[in-house]
Amino acid sequence: MTGFIDLYTEASTFLHRMDPRVKIVAVATLSLLALITSHLVYLLVLAAVMVVLILFGRASYKKTMLAFSYVFRVMALIVVLWPLFDPRGTPVLFGFGPIRITEPGILAGIATAARIFCLAAAWYLLMFTTSQRDLVRGLVKMGLRFDFGLSLAMSLRFLPTFSAIVESIKDAQRARGLELDKGNLRKRARDYVAVLVPTVITALKMADTLSLALQSRAYGARTDRTYMRELKMRAGDYVALLIAVAVFAIPATAKYIFSIPL
Amino acid sequence: MRALDLQDVRFKHRGSDHWALDGVSLQVEKGEFVTLLGSNGSGKSTICMLSNGLIPHALPGDLQGKTEIFGFDVKEHSVAEFSTKVGMVFQEPESQLFCMSVEEEVAFGPENLAVPREELRERVEWALELVGMKGYNDRSPFSLSGGQKQRVAIAAALSMRPDMLVLDEPAYALDPVGRVELYQVLRQLKEQHGMTVLLAECDSEEAAKYSDKAALMKDGRVISYGTPREVLKDPERLRSLGIIPPQVSEVSALLKERLEGSNFSFISVDEAERSIKEKFTNRKRGREP
Amino acid sequence: MIPRVPASVDQDKIISVHGLKFVYDGGVQALAGLNLDVRRGDYLAIVGGNGSGKTTLAKNLNGLLRPTSGSVIINGTSTSELTVAELAKVIGYAFQNPDHQLFCSSVVEEVRFGPLNLGYSEAEVAKKTELSIEAMDLSAVKDQPPFSLTLGERRRVSIASVMAMDPQVFILDEPTTGLDARETDDLMDSIDRLNLDGHTVVLITHDMKLVAKHAKRVVVMSEGRIVLDSDPGGVFTDLELLLRSKLVPPPVSQLAHRLSSLGVPREVLSPEELVFHLMSGRGARR
Repeated sequence: MTGFIDLYTEASTFLHRMDPRVKIVAVATLSLLALITSHLVYLLVLAAVMVVLILFGRASYKKTMLAFSYVFRVMALIVVLWPLFDPRGTPVLFGFGPIRITEPGILAGIATAARIFCLAAAWYLLMFTTSQRDLVRGLVKMGLRFDFGLSLAMSLRFLPTFSAIVESIKDAQRARGLELDKGNLRKRARDYVAVLVPTVITALKMADTLSLALQSRAYGARTDRTYMRELKMRAGDYVALLIAVAVFAIPATAKYIFSIPL
Repeated sequence: MRALDLQDVRFKHRGSDHWALDGVSLQVEKGEFVTLLGSNGSGKSTICMLSNGLIPHALPGDLQGKTEIFGFDVKEHSVAEFSTKVGMVFQEPESQLFCMSVEEEVAFGPENLAVPREELRERVEWALELVGMKGYNDRSPFSLSGGQKQRVAIAAALSMRPDMLVLDEPAYALDPVGRVELYQVLRQLKEQHGMTVLLAECDSEEAAKYSDKAALMKDGRVISYGTPREVLKDPERLRSLGIIPPQVSEVSALLKERLEGSNFSFISVDEAERSIKEKFTNRKRGREP
Repeated sequence: MIPRVPASVDQDKIISVHGLKFVYDGGVQALAGLNLDVRRGDYLAIVGGNGSGKTTLAKNLNGLLRPTSGSVIINGTSTSELTVAELAKVIGYAFQNPDHQLFCSSVVEEVRFGPLNLGYSEAEVAKKTELSIEAMDLSAVKDQPPFSLTLGERRRVSIASVMAMDPQVFILDEPTTGLDARETDDLMDSIDRLNLDGHTVVLITHDMKLVAKHAKRVVVMSEGRIVLDSDPGGVFTDLELLLRSKLVPPPVSQLAHRLSSLGVPREVLSPEELVFHLMSGRGARR
């Protein structure tokens, strides 16, 4: 279950070393770029660039394939179904009653699939090159209130813990004859009460201790709290930031101000 | 000035009719290692929560009597203020470590106090070294064993540079090895760094070995307070209070019963070995009846 | 490959483990090929430090985990042919943390949950529930919500809810953690009684004092293997092995070893035994 959140793959590439704030901005700009681009060729180029970046980041093949397994399924679905619902344009390749499959329709489907790939790839680039710590640190540095940053960090930290607790509770109830995977929806919903209640109670008890522990360590004592790990933008980070912004700003200007089709 | 000075303290939680502390007078001197022994509900945890101000500030209720921590009245200073004098370790290892890495956890306290960055790093390294967890900086708390988690919790309290460490049943969830490691760290802190240590337990085995003083508690009162030898020698009495006696004290009590004229009173294995060998070798050699 | 159960099976063996290997998903081998036979009515303690595999072994016995290779045979049938729910009729497992189990609004409802799941009739469920509640001394609190009870009481509720399913074997995972002296004594009395009544009891623990006092047989595990299987006296003669297995021998055993020159045998398990040997040793030496 934690595999979903913890995609971080340890390595020492320029992407890993980049300041997390720059990466966060880059994800935003790359995503926007993918959204405003409609032309298939440009989208394919963008997708290729993403793939190259992922390779530069030395992502693990297994993890990447796992992460993208759903994305690929969605993409395949779109390529197949899109033309059925987009009957505009010529030439018509296949016509039968209400169904009209055109070449532009097929191309539009492929373009949309490519766009989805680019969006997913942008996020993946961020997640696998940035540790959870740095991610939260970056967000806080960018203005997220420390309290929220701490809540986010704590949620991430306790995810594996709660995963294990829920498994333990399920085991305990199974050992009492509860069959969680059987039965109709109503039975299953009732069964899950036996898992939900102990989970919530355990969570509340932990929250109690947590709150006392936080107070015992002077949480909230001062507004000018310091941080041991500082984030410092270096020359390379500024360059990357510039590129990230330009990569979106230039095409956006071209498209919306100069009406160049993209 | 004492580390902890309780005089006729009574406390009940808000909304409760039951007095968790019902007239406690207790003095802990600086540098002492004191164990509070009692059954669940005897009030030992309550005293722990009182020692850094969590009672009455975070756990409100009716607090009577005088409670002074290093000379400061508990009612007049916040938990944050006490945090630089008293470090707190709770019994569940998992719920008191909330950061994503060991070093963040240990730095958390001093960061809250706006300690300058260079000093933060120093304190983290110092604290980790003291508990034997040097080099574990980037590990996530989830990946540690129970004993390691508790030692990180101690480090996280130590980085605030307190003069007293308070631990509420710290060995509760630990296996025997973790338990031994924990107590060794505490003993070292006391002996080499003059740390005052106050801890709550139901099993007196370690108290016998490491404590300077032990307090027996029942129903919110301190029944007995003195050195382990004075307080732990009667296993029957300890059991009636819900406290697990040091196993060798049961040997000592039986010998006293069955061997006329003997005056055994040992609470540790080493002492037991010495006393028994002495007594029985003498008898063998016919020096004694 | 899981072998078929041979035609002539020793009916006395309620649990039979052959060549049990277990590897977790991440590739960690927790059990390295175990063989263990448990007879009906045994009072067994499985001891070991963290990571020794004792909990993994226990979970293979009631089907929560399935062997990677080797077999587990319960009452003559291989676990590969039984679901967890079916195994729950024979093997009752009380978890270490009772709060991971309790969810009902009263003790009675909690205890009824197990037998209801197993499909007993209402009359049978009511009877078993009543018997278990009495056996675990919970009559006084039976209508209270489990969450409002003390830890000792919650442990007893958890065991009662397992008892009500009427299993032949009880597996109890660290039942005395966090209990004070009186609660420990009360709980262990109830467990001893279960064994006296003919149930097979398997205690998973690292508290060696408890083992010395109650168990009749001790299986020491270390790093996924069984390193010693003997009566408690036999286990405590080998202090080295215990220490290597990350266990701390009880103080009385440590003392007995040091006093062997005075005629105290190393298998001593209790203060009474030690004193007895000291006193008679003195006599014999005259």
